[in-house]
Amino acid sequence: MNRWKRLAPVTAVVASAAMVLAGCGGAGDDEAADNRKLTVWMMGEGSEAQTTFLDGVEAEFNKKHPDTDVVVQYIPWLEAPKKFQAALAGGEGPDVTELGNTETQGWADQEALADVTAKFAAWPEGKDILPDLVRNAQLGGKQYGVPWYAGVRALYYRTDWFAEAGVKPPTNWDELVAAAKAVQAKKPGTYGIALPGNSELPFYSFLWAAGGEIAVQEGDTWKSGYTTPQAQQAVKFWTDLVTVHKVAPPAAAGWNEIDARTQFATGKAAMAFAGSWQAGAIKKDNPEIEKVWGTFPIPGPDGRPAPAFAGGSDIALWQDSKKQDLAWDYLTVLLSKQKDKEFASSLGFFPVYSDLVGGGEYANDKIMAAFATSLQNTKLTPLTPKWVEVSRTKTVTQAMNSSVIKGQKTVEKATADAAAEMESILNAK
Amino acid sequence: MTSLTQAPETPAARQTPARRRRRVDRLPYLLLLPSLAIIGGLLLWPLGQVVAMSFFRLDNVRQLRGDREWPWVGLGNYAEILGDPFFLTVLRNTVLFAVANVVLTMILGTLVGLLLNRLGRRMATFVASCVMLAWATPALTGTIVWKWLFDDTSGLVTWLFNALPDGLSNALFGRADWTGYGWFNSPLMFFAILTLVVVWHSFPFIAVSVLAGLRSVPSDLHEAARVDGAGPWKVFWKITFPLLRPVFGILVVLSTIWDFKVFTQQFVLAGGTQDRPTFMLSIYSYAEAFSPPPKYGLGAAIAVILTLILLVVTGLYVRMVLKQEEAS
Repeated sequence: MNRWKRLAPVTAVVASAAMVLAGCGGAGDDEAADNRKLTVWMMGEGSEAQTTFLDGVEAEFNKKHPDTDVVVQYIPWLEAPKKFQAALAGGEGPDVTELGNTETQGWADQEALADVTAKFAAWPEGKDILPDLVRNAQLGGKQYGVPWYAGVRALYYRTDWFAEAGVKPPTNWDELVAAAKAVQAKKPGTYGIALPGNSELPFYSFLWAAGGEIAVQEGDTWKSGYTTPQAQQAVKFWTDLVTVHKVAPPAAAGWNEIDARTQFATGKAAMAFAGSWQAGAIKKDNPEIEKVWGTFPIPGPDGRPAPAFAGGSDIALWQDSKKQDLAWDYLTVLLSKQKDKEFASSLGFFPVYSDLVGGGEYANDKIMAAFATSLQNTKLTPLTPKWVEVSRTKTVTQAMNSSVIKGQKTVEKATADAAAEMESILNAK
Repeated sequence: MTSLTQAPETPAARQTPARRRRRVDRLPYLLLLPSLAIIGGLLLWPLGQVVAMSFFRLDNVRQLRGDREWPWVGLGNYAEILGDPFFLTVLRNTVLFAVANVVLTMILGTLVGLLLNRLGRRMATFVASCVMLAWATPALTGTIVWKWLFDDTSGLVTWLFNALPDGLSNALFGRADWTGYGWFNSPLMFFAILTLVVVWHSFPFIAVSVLAGLRSVPSDLHEAARVDGAGPWKVFWKITFPLLRPVFGILVVLSTIWDFKVFTQQFVLAGGTQDRPTFMLSIYSYAEAFSPPPKYGLGAAIAVILTLILLVVTGLYVRMVLKQEEAS
């Protein structure tokens, strides 16, 4: 007892010191919005083209706000979730940020992003943005981000190997298998197709093409579509490429899209699933490949191109930012049609405006044409903030396909397990 | 202290020694204060936070900032983890992996320690430096190199297996072409490779510690035993092991703690938190807490469970060692 009494003054001093410190922290929050600086977070490493482009955007923005200094910080894609969490926990975030469009809902649910519904509705150019992309940045009917650029996946292939084997770019599933087998027979030591067994997005094209769904909302509950015969057909086709047709190796069970792309770039595979934006990376691995590559849309079972996942990036305003109006002004300059087209093309993506991607703009581009076709028919992953847990944390779809490829489960068992796990996550209270 | 202050009768006789004693008594604590403050601030406080967090439902970053309520769930997080059949898989992985790694590390480390003790000075220095290199390699970089060795197209291991005569390879493993073989596909293979990496990283410390212990044992004991006709096996178990029992005791406890909480090597080999069938407690805790959507409370509860298991295991072991000491 005595000891505690003696400690009391010490405790008091420590406590008051803590309060003083806390007070100091608090005082800063009351400052009026300071428009001299606007912090913008961009994803990736910041290529020269991107830096130059953003300098141009700042110059344009400065016409309206001459006193504002735009500070751009680049954040590697894989670092972004940690950076966002730290910013949210610490209270020091950006004013404007780019983020992958599969993540927008998750961060909106974490109250990281500002609600821009009213601002977006009042912005005339926004009406022309592809509706699927706009919906993907919504949560509970509110808009939390604005699409910046878009991309879809297709198949890259070796035109020289296809010519040697006497096959044409396939337009349905049977032709896809036949082409892979024919090239593999002609080119021993290579794979017909670099299958990213540990990635989900290319697989969804097969799922949707077969008429399956990932999950549909019925009232308040989500129901997984994986137990339907259509979904099972897609899983069987995808995994048979390794287990039955052997046009991809068993190691493909662990490959992500970058692993698979590298197999193609280094001349180990005749075909690979990749996005248009990855053309640069493939060329970097193998500059010669430009002479002998082509692309075609991911085929469906029946001869029509498969629907593709509408990937890409959104721009959002940070909820904690005190410069919402200034940030929105920057966003509208960055996302203006003219700037958007300029930037998307330099990255190998597509602008998000429907009038800019239609109209045969890309018909004569030997790489971009297939992607432009796929972009006409896109679909989305389930629109719920819990989706990110299915997709990223529990990797339900990837695990389902991998387990079949590794021979651990039958298609029926794997799809049933995945459906149950998915439903338990999506319907968790 | 109290007895001293309660004896005021003979002030002159008492004052000097008491004062000196008090001054001396305080000094060690004063000297310890800076490190205690650092440990308290960097270790104990976060530890207390983790325990506290494990009793709340925390799934929003803003809660950490204090912007939102912390809903109390009591033991809810623990019930959720223990009730999930996946926890059993994780626990099984963790325990089996730790047991296998402690045993292998101890055996290999002891053997290398014995070897070092018998080598001449130059050779011992050479071998010891090579062994220490493995220990000095940071876990992250070391594991990345191991991952490359097992690369499915251009890894050295793949190349070596491809270099085997086809007939032999077929007879032994049922395949001759190893290019594209998924080394990390099955959990068993994954754990085998992880064990290789972790044992490689941790045996040097055991070897050097055992060597230090051996050097402190008078060598005439060994000589006497050998003169009496004892073989190396007998010498080890009858002389070396009993003498070094305290050293082995502390090494087993340390290895157990290290191998229970292996994280870096697993994270790198598995390429992140995707490979759930090979989860162990530490990576499970990390994945639950920080993968979106965050579940800090759940992750904290897993971390607490891991700590409790470690405390129980090491506590039991330390008691066992102490009892044996008393008995012998």
